[in-house]
Amino acid sequence: MTKSVSLKTGNKMAVLKFEGWSISNPLASFLTEELRKTIRELDVFLVQDSGITNQVNIFLPRSEDYWACWDKKCAIDLGRRLKVNYVIAGNIQKKDEDNFLISGRLFSVDMEMLMNEFVVNSSGITDSLLLEMKKMAFNVSGLSIPDSIYAERSIIETEVEEKQKRQRIWGLQFPSIPNKVKALMMSTVLPGSGQIWAEKKYPGYSFMGIESALGISAWIAYKQYYSSWGDFESNYNAYQRGTDPRELLDLRPKVIKYAQETARYNAFMKNLRTIGFSIWVVNMIHAYLVTPGDDFFDGEYFFDVEYNNDENQFQLNLNF
Amino acid sequence: MKLLRIILLLYLFIINACEEAIYKFDNVNDPFNMDLEPPALFFHPSEIKTFVNSNDSLEVYGYKLDSSAAAHLEIIYDYGSIIVDSVSPGPFFQNSNDPIEVVVEDGNKIHIYLYYLPDLMMDQNTGGTWSLAKIYFSTTNAAGTYGLEFGSNTKLRNAENDSVRINTFGIGSIHVQ
Repeated sequence: MTKSVSLKTGNKMAVLKFEGWSISNPLASFLTEELRKTIRELDVFLVQDSGITNQVNIFLPRSEDYWACWDKKCAIDLGRRLKVNYVIAGNIQKKDEDNFLISGRLFSVDMEMLMNEFVVNSSGITDSLLLEMKKMAFNVSGLSIPDSIYAERSIIETEVEEKQKRQRIWGLQFPSIPNKVKALMMSTVLPGSGQIWAEKKYPGYSFMGIESALGISAWIAYKQYYSSWGDFESNYNAYQRGTDPRELLDLRPKVIKYAQETARYNAFMKNLRTIGFSIWVVNMIHAYLVTPGDDFFDGEYFFDVEYNNDENQFQLNLNF
Repeated sequence: MKLLRIILLLYLFIINACEEAIYKFDNVNDPFNMDLEPPALFFHPSEIKTFVNSNDSLEVYGYKLDSSAAAHLEIIYDYGSIIVDSVSPGPFFQNSNDPIEVVVEDGNKIHIYLYYLPDLMMDQNTGGTWSLAKIYFSTTNAAGTYGLEFGSNTKLRNAENDSVRINTFGIGSIHVQ
């Protein structure tokens, strides 16, 4: 007598955010979301919304321990926490200028096993990566890749080439700057911003706070100086123009008093400047030292300047 | 752009040092610049430039004088070239009452007697740097430089009729063009 046993499993799936190696954080998020969207559209799996999936942030604290949920134990544990049947985890690595390696793993939470592993090579830019993510969605769903997807690629590539050409005309292809230098530059412009960008928030806010406090102190001292300077000028001018000996004798101590006050506030401001400048330099060096190297980190800019083709002007972007 | 402006302003603020207050007490009317050792009497202004057949004035000034109740100012001048028109008391002996003033012309000297008129509060002034008297004069048609100096009878007295110390007597001159 033969007894058949079958295991019925659900189709709920969580797509964890793909880890980006040498690609920007927003790009990794965007590509992951594109994978989610395509799998959802293929209607094989019920894909969990990113808002729920991202509630368990596996990448933090990223600045101290940079790892992905790549192994079975982690993925299954996470799948249970998210109450799904399948988990997809992966990463996107930038190999060289135009080559990317996209790796993904499909885990079954119910069966506690690695179901499938996908590795896709992409040579091209962002939109090519997008296409590869879509192809991966078909692979994950166990469906063959339709030809129509390649037609879509050629349209994308044409658009991208056009955009690149426009950028080249403007000559705004900024050279790639190492993360450490980026942080150094940011902290040079705005103390603490490089550290905040590198997710060393407490030192970043401390530098920013100290420099702000020094700035406020300097501003108050400057106001006092300015007031004393006004009194000095009015009294000294009166002394120089005066003809009455008694008035001149009265003006003498006032001129000396306000001159001493301005000298005192000026000396105070000079000290603040020396301290502020020293802390500024320390802050710059600190930003350089604490920022992880390019192999381990690619965060969002705290701020940057870029050329907006659509509006035909430069714009300052701030990311908080 | 606002943020950039603020940062730029901050840089300028940090880089630029504030101006140091530099001053020089070089006013010729300042008693400090007259080589006087207080308490002193001097003419203000010490040098007068005027024209023939014109009117002008000068003040007899006290510099850091002690409390006084009366003064006898003997001023020697070039009689004939300078004509004293009138003398009015300055604020040195002024209180709620006007001071008493007596002027006696004696050749090339003029004697000015000033008396503090006591009130219910005080019988002498508090001293200090004040004008004792203002002398209005006119010039003749003789151009030249004429000296002014205090005579040896010049003295100040306090309410106890003691002499008030005066260390220096200044000199003056009138240049008539």
